[in-house]
Amino acid sequence: MNRSMIRYILGYVIAIQSILMLLPCLVAVIYREPEGIHFLIISLLSAVISLSMIRKKPEDSVFYLKEGCIATSLSWIVMSLLGCLPFVLTGEIPSFTDALFETVSGFTTTGASILSNVEGLSHASLFWRSFTHWIGGMGVLVFLLTIISLSGGSHINLMRAESPGPSVGKLVPRVKHNARLLYIIYLVMTLVEIILLLAGKMPLFDAVATSFGTAGTGGFGIRNDSMMSYSPYLQWVVTIFMILFGVNFNAFYLITFRKFKKAFEMEEVHWYFIIILVATGIIFSQILKTSAGAFDALTQASFQVASIITTTGFSTADFNLWPQTSKTVLVLLMFIGACAGSTGGGIKVSRFVVMVKTIDKELNSYIHPRSVRKIKLDGKPIEHEVLRSINVYFMTYILLYAVSVFLISLENKDMVTNFTAVAATFNNIGPGLELVGPTQNFGSFSLLSKYVLIFDMLAGRLELFPLLILFHPGVWKDAVSQKVSESNPQIYRDLGSSWHD
Amino acid sequence: MLQITPPKNDKPVVESKKPSKKGLNIIIVGCGKVGTTLVEQLTREGHDITIIDRSPQLVQQLIDKYDVMGIVGNGASYSVQMEAGIEDSDLLIAVTESDELNLLCCTIAKRVGDCAAIARVRTPDYSTEVGYLREKLELAMIINPELEAANEVARILYLPTALEVNSFAHGQAELIKFQVPDGNMLDGITIAHLGRTISHNVLFCAIERDGKVYIPSGDFLISKGDIISFVASRKSAKTFLERIGFKTNHVKSTMIIGGGKAAYYLARQLLRMGISVKIIEIDKARCEELSILLPKAVIINGDGTNEGLLKEEGIEYTESFVPLTGIDEENILLTLHARQVSHAKVITKINRITFKGVISGLNLGSVVYPRYITSETIIAYVRAKQNSMDSNIETLYHMFDHRVEAIEFRVDEPSAVTNIPLVELPLKKDLLLSFINRNGRIIIPTGRDSIQIGDTVMIVTTHTGFNDILDILR
Repeated sequence: MNRSMIRYILGYVIAIQSILMLLPCLVAVIYREPEGIHFLIISLLSAVISLSMIRKKPEDSVFYLKEGCIATSLSWIVMSLLGCLPFVLTGEIPSFTDALFETVSGFTTTGASILSNVEGLSHASLFWRSFTHWIGGMGVLVFLLTIISLSGGSHINLMRAESPGPSVGKLVPRVKHNARLLYIIYLVMTLVEIILLLAGKMPLFDAVATSFGTAGTGGFGIRNDSMMSYSPYLQWVVTIFMILFGVNFNAFYLITFRKFKKAFEMEEVHWYFIIILVATGIIFSQILKTSAGAFDALTQASFQVASIITTTGFSTADFNLWPQTSKTVLVLLMFIGACAGSTGGGIKVSRFVVMVKTIDKELNSYIHPRSVRKIKLDGKPIEHEVLRSINVYFMTYILLYAVSVFLISLENKDMVTNFTAVAATFNNIGPGLELVGPTQNFGSFSLLSKYVLIFDMLAGRLELFPLLILFHPGVWKDAVSQKVSESNPQIYRDLGSSWHD
Repeated sequence: MLQITPPKNDKPVVESKKPSKKGLNIIIVGCGKVGTTLVEQLTREGHDITIIDRSPQLVQQLIDKYDVMGIVGNGASYSVQMEAGIEDSDLLIAVTESDELNLLCCTIAKRVGDCAAIARVRTPDYSTEVGYLREKLELAMIINPELEAANEVARILYLPTALEVNSFAHGQAELIKFQVPDGNMLDGITIAHLGRTISHNVLFCAIERDGKVYIPSGDFLISKGDIISFVASRKSAKTFLERIGFKTNHVKSTMIIGGGKAAYYLARQLLRMGISVKIIEIDKARCEELSILLPKAVIINGDGTNEGLLKEEGIEYTESFVPLTGIDEENILLTLHARQVSHAKVITKINRITFKGVISGLNLGSVVYPRYITSETIIAYVRAKQNSMDSNIETLYHMFDHRVEAIEFRVDEPSAVTNIPLVELPLKKDLLLSFINRNGRIIIPTGRDSIQIGDTVMIVTTHTGFNDILDILR
């Protein structure tokens, strides 16, 4: 394994974080808050660490998929560890575990909080909390790829490990330009949302923080009641942008380059919108009686559906009090998640589309046992490898899910809480039902449960395998192994000379 | 002779950084051996590459290894080319198995994208009509790796003491590589001394010793075993080699194993030069074809890897031996066998290169890599296309395993390098101006000479990515 290359990439990731952490310092300066100094300290500390790591350029730049996965998951862990320190230092979240939970929840764009009084935080901390969503949404390594040049296959291996979805497609030949395009689309859409929110008379700080939360499909609110107290206009803007950020970014790329036909033909996006419409319809018909008119019901229903399916997790209503069918629909949406290639989490619409098609193929093979049929998506046949990885992904997902629910259940909380707590973190959503409902928080969990949920959030964001590979004994063995020529060059020289003789 | 490099420059060559210039958008159709080499080298040069192939596995392999975009499909189809972004492309290179498909790819690309197009056409049926095809289909270039390989083999057979012969300035100048044998008069003298006493119109460009490449200065001490590349005009190269004690007669007879396209092209050339040719080919039908195409050659129907047959056909008596089978391992074994049983000049063709270290450790002598020859021609074209107006790349060779580049520039317009005596030019380190070709006359330059408009200038350098004559300046 190429350890020096992993170290080098980690160094760069820390450097980026160190620079990004200067932004909350700036916020602290604007609002004249003493908390800013703690962000500055951590930023400087990160800078020192990163400089020591990137000082020496690795000689061997060979980089395979396993290095890509390891570098990615280690980056996310290191970022979370460093990112949570300011919360601890400022004393706003005194417990390290809680601070880590909050930061991981931020970076993984979950939005599950342990805080009961969000409004008590300083502006700097609030900003950092929301900003972690924005960084984590598109991914910090993807950002790294826009800056540094690595050799050959390293790019695609890093991108593959961090980008959500069953397979990574390129839009333009070079990964660097791909990553740039994605970030440009991301940035422009975020700015448009900020402007639209400002137009609805939302204060600037709220608009920026809300947009970060929407763009990353995160869901940290800066008010205790999340989005409830904002006007319907603002709620609609957020609804629409949540839905947009849950769309596969390839569609936006195609639209930018005026390939409308291709953009509107994307099968996954079709299904995504169909699911949203159906779910909104069901919930709308159920809450129509209890809410203040049809428009209000529609606003509520669509906001919640958009928030859950894109795995954002904002809320404008306490859906824990809604009828059972509506709650069930929302829980089901949690698992479906957004489109592949978006900033959202969950299992992804495209995986479900493919799995349903596999079932259809299986049924067909009962009717015509000898029939040959390829599964297609967007008119293109899906390789067997991709199908296999989707199936294995689903299996692993269910297994991890079951284990997590079991570990959480050791606390003796009720079944719905346990089940939805894992659903809400594993799918990077945020609020669940009952004790972790939209008006509640995760603060009441035990230490063990919090770490289980932290693991779930990371695993969900990185799509399981990049994180799981860290726990494979093969990787540990690889990590400590030396090149033979380094420790014992004599053997090879002897072999070489006898070969010539 | 003159050394333009700074005097204390005998450090081993270190891989130099390439300049970050804006790359071209290039589409490569076909991911075979040549396609893969092109992807490898063109990505290194910093171009944006999209590959098209029918096989998903091949495309996947290349995507995993290089930073390129892959598309699975038929490269000659309009929709596939559109998907690959033909409209914004600068160049399409078609190197699939089939000549006809390559030509079709290029024709469609010209109509749809109006980009430059390069096709590989290998069949002898078309090889005589290349000029016509190129002009009528408006292609930028037609490449024929088999023919190029055959040309290179023929050049070496014409000067069998050399390990490698590359030609510049339309054959006026040659870049010749040879190894200093034990007890040669060059052993133990400096280059400056050599220039004073033996020959002043050759220029030593690069010297490989113990796996390291040096661009030598005047006080470089030559020793036995060094592999030396020098530049000279055709005539003076022969005189020089004779003077230092090499035989320079071309071979009289050659034995070729395998009767493929490269063998046909080579035999045709050699017969034209008056060298007798014997081809051993296993396939009866192919033998008959060859005997019609090459009436003067001796065609033997039999297994070229059969030791008995080789002996019977006189491997011990032939002056040169060229295994051209499609299998590298066979070629290498045949070479080793020939070196054991005869004193023939042996040239090995290697198609795909893995275990590079092992191959160079075997000391095979002259080795020809068709896919490198092809990619060098294409890279020369691409660099020339990328650069500005005032100069152009005529030829480009990679030497010593890509560690040294020899590039010939044509100087068409006045610039910062023209009309200034060479001593006054602020040249880069690790760079050598090896000759100036003025109207077909080869000048090995001294400090007083200057580059004139209309010249072609050949430089040898360890820098990579030069695409303009101005790149030689600091």
